[in-house]
Amino acid sequence: MSGHGNTAVDERIGTGLKSRTRHALSDEFLRKAVAFTTDKLKSGRLQAMDTFGDWEAWRERGKAIRSHTIDNLDYYLGQFADNVVKGGGHVYFAKEGKDAVRTFMDIAERNKAKLVAKGKSMVSEEIHLNQELEKKGIDAIETDLGEYILQLARETPSHLIIPAIHKNKQQIAKLFTDASGEHFEPETKVLAEYARKKLRNYFLEADIGLTGCNFGVAESGSITLVSNEGNGRMVSTLPKVHVVVMGMERLVPTFEDLEVVLNLLARSATGQKLTTYTSILTGPKASGDLDGPEELHVIILDNGRSEQLGDPIFQEVLNCIRCAACLNVCPVYRHVGGHTYGSVYSGPIGAVLTPLLQQDMKEAGTLAYASSLCGACYEACPVKIPLHDMLVHLRHRKVKMKLTALPERVAFKSYQTIFGNITLYKLATKSAYYMQKPLVREGMIKSGPPPLSGWTQSRFMPMLPKQSFRDKWGALQQELARKRKEGGKA
Amino acid sequence: MSGSSDKRAHGTMTGRDAFMNNIASRLGRRTPSQTPPERPFKGVPDFYRERTMTREEHIEQFMANWTALSGKVLIVEEAEAPAAVAAYIRQICEEHGITRITRWEHEQLIALGFDEPVRAAGIEIVPWREDGADAIDPGLSPSGETGLWQQRERLLRAAETCRLGIVWPDYAVSSTSSLALFSSGGKGRSVSLLTDALLAVFHADQLVMRIGEAFEHFKRQYPDAADMPASLNLITGPSRSADIENDLTIGIHGPGKVHAVIIK
Repeated sequence: MSGHGNTAVDERIGTGLKSRTRHALSDEFLRKAVAFTTDKLKSGRLQAMDTFGDWEAWRERGKAIRSHTIDNLDYYLGQFADNVVKGGGHVYFAKEGKDAVRTFMDIAERNKAKLVAKGKSMVSEEIHLNQELEKKGIDAIETDLGEYILQLARETPSHLIIPAIHKNKQQIAKLFTDASGEHFEPETKVLAEYARKKLRNYFLEADIGLTGCNFGVAESGSITLVSNEGNGRMVSTLPKVHVVVMGMERLVPTFEDLEVVLNLLARSATGQKLTTYTSILTGPKASGDLDGPEELHVIILDNGRSEQLGDPIFQEVLNCIRCAACLNVCPVYRHVGGHTYGSVYSGPIGAVLTPLLQQDMKEAGTLAYASSLCGACYEACPVKIPLHDMLVHLRHRKVKMKLTALPERVAFKSYQTIFGNITLYKLATKSAYYMQKPLVREGMIKSGPPPLSGWTQSRFMPMLPKQSFRDKWGALQQELARKRKEGGKA
Repeated sequence: MSGSSDKRAHGTMTGRDAFMNNIASRLGRRTPSQTPPERPFKGVPDFYRERTMTREEHIEQFMANWTALSGKVLIVEEAEAPAAVAAYIRQICEEHGITRITRWEHEQLIALGFDEPVRAAGIEIVPWREDGADAIDPGLSPSGETGLWQQRERLLRAAETCRLGIVWPDYAVSSTSSLALFSSGGKGRSVSLLTDALLAVFHADQLVMRIGEAFEHFKRQYPDAADMPASLNLITGPSRSADIENDLTIGIHGPGKVHAVIIK
């Protein structure tokens, strides 16, 4: 365990990346499912942008609001916490994941809880709360349909919005059959009907409802939850105790700002105008209310986030509103899916966020290489986080810390020497022409030893010409000058 | 702020100082800032805020958006509203074989007077008030007599057995076809959540363009956070999920059928 105490640092995030990638690439269903769904989500987003007026103005506003909030997080978080307390809620600040887990356990013990119904919460995945609850003999049931499927399969989410994107109907029918003893046909309607009934019982019998928080509103201390299924409403309405676990950066200053981020989130995530249910919860049930939780507890988590504050390059990563638009457009994510990243957060945002939150450049930092640096993530981001730049900076950081492989370091060192010296450069290009000869067939390099094989296993590489561009330049220059003269006359 | 009409006892705060001091220091301040930061901008872009619509356009917009989400809309004149709403409720119940419904204890809904004609059709009604379920048998909990649910309030348990919920939203948002529901005593959250079908009845003059306008009204009505309703829900269409092979499923946890009656 590393010294900064994140609840669970996956030591294999980096070393396992290649084998996970190979595994994902050989899974035909996974690749098709991920490509299909991400395409659908992407086109939904493009359509929604179309009908929304000046999308660029919205992005600018989203970025401005999020940046302003994070720049003044000490003020807004203080204001938010004061208002939660004023509204009758209890606030706990948790520096690390294990602090948040302990706080939750205390609340569960005080309430003699045996059953916890969970709304979708990436933060609870981040701190591995389910595993800890299991150890204490408390049942924690995921109630988002996708998360429920994954819980039965004992897997982790592979997409921020559609967590079970990699599972097909046959697999889901089998999971439900195994769990219930009844037989299920692989039909969406049948499966959904079973899940509705089954999960309804959990909503009714749970001692505690646990949710994340999409946005806290500082001016009122309100918790905003969005969900399409309605499970977020169930777990925050029916059980007597509602516990919220939220990242400390999930805030907007006012209701006016909330309008902006709600619009951006729904349109960027699924292309909806608004998510089906937006619940803005202020305190536990009020006097006179005949339903709603009697207790509200809000656990505010740092877990590596504050390390990004004040960082000129990475602070902006805290602006993220978790819409997953960057996943849907990422050529790497679209091929390998979420599990390949080996972390709770996948895709471009995961490749940036994971090493930063875990403060681990050695293993988690390797995720920065799971990217083609094409910049599609930045183009799609509703709050304009320059993820592609951050990926380059992370790679830079890894190099500076001498955490890259020795052959790579040697290779780049020689590269630097050769490209910095004209004689060496000329010698290298000349000799490369002769050295490639044994590999060339019909003007192409069709296979080669590593690292060249990384290229040639999926496409051919054109051979280096005898005369380099540099050598030709003298003759080319004269030709250009001649053409210019002729052109001038005409 | 003593003397204000706090509805709730204050909560508690744990572990604040070290946490907040760390944030302040990371941001280059000695102590956490207590002064509201300068705000050069707030909320949505101006071009979006400045759009306007006529009453008729609002209705059209709401209808177009609501039906696109598979919702149904009925538009009625003020004078014929009581009869039309009662008939519509009976029609929905008949269509889905519903025999028990719940509704907000809301003066506008009561004024429509549909309880009697609906009951006459053999349909039980659970009004959302303390004694609303006195005459109703909510039956046993899923886990039987030993379950936690069995010990909960009779009203809540009865509402869970109803298959249609009727509400009078505080506002309706035309550009997204959202219903804005502010919770309070007679306006229970469960009524719009636990049933298979939802019916919202409201006046055309409750239509606003943006969700932000509903928020403005909310804030004006409850300027002090301590007095705010425990829940403001925006409901935009039926409960849905795409979690099984991205196949759109309607009615996964909340109501799968959504109806609206707009009174002109």
